[in-house]
Amino acid sequence: MHDRTVLDKITQALADYLKRDADSIEPSYHLRDDLGLDSMAVIELLYKIEETFNLQIPDQDLAGLTTVGAVAHYVQGRLTPSKQASATKKSSTKGKKKK
Amino acid sequence: MRTTVVVTGLGVISPIGIGVSEFWKAALDGRSGISAITRFDPFPMDGYRSKVAGQIQGFSPEQYLDSVQAERVDRYAQFALVAAKEALADADLQMTKEKPHRVGVIVGAGMGGMVMGEREITQLYQQQRPHRVHPNFIPVITLNSASGIVAMAHGAKGPNFTISTACSSSAHALGQAMQCIREGRADVVITVGADASITPLVFAGFCSLRALSTRYNDHPEKASRPFDRLRDGFVMGEGAGALILESAAHAKKRKARIYAEVAGYAATSEAYHMVIPREDGEEVATTMRLALVDAGTTPAHVDYINAHATSTSIGDAVEAKAIRQLFKSRADKIAVSATKSLVGHTLGAAGAIGGIASVLAIHTGQIHPTANYDEPDPACALRGISRTVQERRVKAALLNAFGFGSNNAAVVLKRYSA
Repeated sequence: MHDRTVLDKITQALADYLKRDADSIEPSYHLRDDLGLDSMAVIELLYKIEETFNLQIPDQDLAGLTTVGAVAHYVQGRLTPSKQASATKKSSTKGKKKK
Repeated sequence: MRTTVVVTGLGVISPIGIGVSEFWKAALDGRSGISAITRFDPFPMDGYRSKVAGQIQGFSPEQYLDSVQAERVDRYAQFALVAAKEALADADLQMTKEKPHRVGVIVGAGMGGMVMGEREITQLYQQQRPHRVHPNFIPVITLNSASGIVAMAHGAKGPNFTISTACSSSAHALGQAMQCIREGRADVVITVGADASITPLVFAGFCSLRALSTRYNDHPEKASRPFDRLRDGFVMGEGAGALILESAAHAKKRKARIYAEVAGYAATSEAYHMVIPREDGEEVATTMRLALVDAGTTPAHVDYINAHATSTSIGDAVEAKAIRQLFKSRADKIAVSATKSLVGHTLGAAGAIGGIASVLAIHTGQIHPTANYDEPDPACALRGISRTVQERRVKAALLNAFGFGSNNAAVVLKRYSA
């Protein structure tokens, strides 16, 4: 189970970003497929979340953050050090920049 | 009959060498110019996700430039001056023998005078003393400061402007310079790309965009690895490249050595996203195709591609996909190299420095290696990418450059035949 406070804050941040009602956002929603966030929008969301929870999220952790619930689970893990290992998923992919 | 445009002089200042001969020797050696960032000291690096860059170490402008001139411009414009001076000398172009209004300057710059820009902004906000903002602040940060100062240094009174399209700036500068000469508005265009924005704020901005490599902070020389499976973002660089473009008739009249022809150019917009390329690669393929049409040639004649290849996951894969789309079965027969594997991504200078590598490939028959291409990524595997020097008689080369703001450029360079 996610900590409601963490999940609520993340859902609210998403609702603010997308200008829609927080009640319409489910933890199972996929950031890209259900909420329409592109990789840049995900980065903007994480920027907000880093500020809210006073975290730094390394690039390598981005690939696992695909759903609202996954983001909440990850943040919860980072706030509770013992859970960190399971929340962190290494990947070779990262933000989709071309520059 | 359309005016033929040729390259007669080259100049470069880069993380792997100041001056064309030093640059090219290091490039052929596949030497990396990437190192741990030292420039910010005493500003701490702890908070930065990425800690490496392609820095020009030990550059003292007085060694190359008049000290008064050097002092009044920002680092990127100093680089532009150094590169332009070398290129003019290399072209043996004597301004006293030229009609000043027939010599233009076109500069590509992505960020411009950020060294002074950041310093002045910081001081103003910290000290709140507006009367202490430096009188040179506006002239320095105005994005055409480099094209202005290069013209002043050499008395070039022809068309003078700056193109700022982020990472493709100086590829567009090359294309626009070619068009300027084709249209008969100038005989010669001093074409430059320059940027020097490895500064605490700009670097932090690219970190926040999560565009930079973060995995190789302890092994900086491994960080820029275009097309490699373990690439994880681009590495910022700084520098300048300059190419003297002139009409073939003008070059022949003054018996100049001709390196290559600038034969074609295309500029397009993907009209898609500020920082993300279209993943199907169609727009990149279209841009390359249009440049080849402009050059009066076809994909069948291209021997070498100097790829944009910044070492980001998506960018390199899209470019490789586009190359495959356009060149089909020939895609694996074309030599491909990524200059950014050596110098990092020099932003506004990238097109010019890649252009110099392309011109030298045509001129010398040697294509520089792509450093750190250790393990091909199936998403962008092209057989023409190599960790070692490729020897090849290059008759036609394509230079690719893509920039934020959804813009693409491609330039075709050819072996010159009279």
